[in-house]
Amino acid sequence: MSEKKLPAEMRTEFGKGAARRLRRAEQIPAVIYGHGDDVVHVSLPKKDTTLAVRTPNALLRIDIHGDEHLTLAKQVQRDPVKQIVEHLDLLTVRRGEKVQVDVNVVIIGEAEPGVVVTLEAPTVSIEAEATHLPSHLDVNITGHDIGDHVHASDVILPSGVTLLTEPETLVVNVASPALQDLGEGEEAEGEEAAEGEEAEATETEGEAAEEGESKPESAGESE
Amino acid sequence: MLIPRRVKYRKQHHPRRGGQASGGTTVSFGEWGIQALTPAYVTNRQIESARIAMTRHIKRGGKVWINIYPDRPLTKKPAETRMGSGKGSPEWWVANVKPGRVLFELSGVNDEVAKEALRLAVHKLPLKARIVRREGGE
Repeated sequence: MSEKKLPAEMRTEFGKGAARRLRRAEQIPAVIYGHGDDVVHVSLPKKDTTLAVRTPNALLRIDIHGDEHLTLAKQVQRDPVKQIVEHLDLLTVRRGEKVQVDVNVVIIGEAEPGVVVTLEAPTVSIEAEATHLPSHLDVNITGHDIGDHVHASDVILPSGVTLLTEPETLVVNVASPALQDLGEGEEAEGEEAAEGEEAEATETEGEAAEEGESKPESAGESE
Repeated sequence: MLIPRRVKYRKQHHPRRGGQASGGTTVSFGEWGIQALTPAYVTNRQIESARIAMTRHIKRGGKVWINIYPDRPLTKKPAETRMGSGKGSPEWWVANVKPGRVLFELSGVNDEVAKEALRLAVHKLPLKARIVRREGGE
């Protein structure tokens, strides 16, 4: 994974007011920690940082007026609606140091026709050199048929990468299509049921109030 | 149709509508999802209608997750009734959905089918929504 260099400024004021002022000025508040060093509070340029953290486990070289920190994007806080990056947690790493990260699993190949392929574990934990983290791990499902399982031990690992997830963890499940309730013929049955429930509800109204059970469904369906 | 089996109290205050979703804002189980952009009370009938729209389009194949549950009762007084005389009777079960919440998830079908199925499902819901993909998904 390639390194991205980002210029940073030290932060001197903290709290939500200061953080909001930074965001208005097209900056992203971030914090750098790790290896028992003192925590460093910085602000990063919004556009470059947003592009840099689009890849998971991005390796960032933070330049604070000539003082460089090699970091890993540990946590990216995003606004759930606008999807803008609000804050970054950056973990200090050293070259050659092994780190533990979660990496996305990507399915490649085509299974047999007429099967449903479900990714049960979208990520797996691995240990690898901080400067050589894979962006994703591949799982080949070519030729897999109903009932086949792909476990964590079957994931293709690049050299220098160790799997930390339990090898028996189910990653991909190849199953037959489940019979779905398509709601057909429900209208006729539903109407009958609604009438029946309505009659019951009027009889047991007093009891339901005491027991704390409610059936608003019958009233809703009778509309 | 989703409905609580039993509840401690039959009638509740209206759920708060303000703010954004604090959890369940990412696609966690499937490959594609529907993310709410406006707040809404989504009834169990609307959830079921959206689910049926989705499953009918994907036919046999694919897997659907429903991430919301209608656990809040809303009451209604009968028509042409004078005010007073207590709270009305429970009428609907709703899920209090806030912006950012992922309502449904889908996987196991190709991209075109997934997007069309979710588009059809969005039309059954009383809110503005967008179709989102799992982070890191290809």
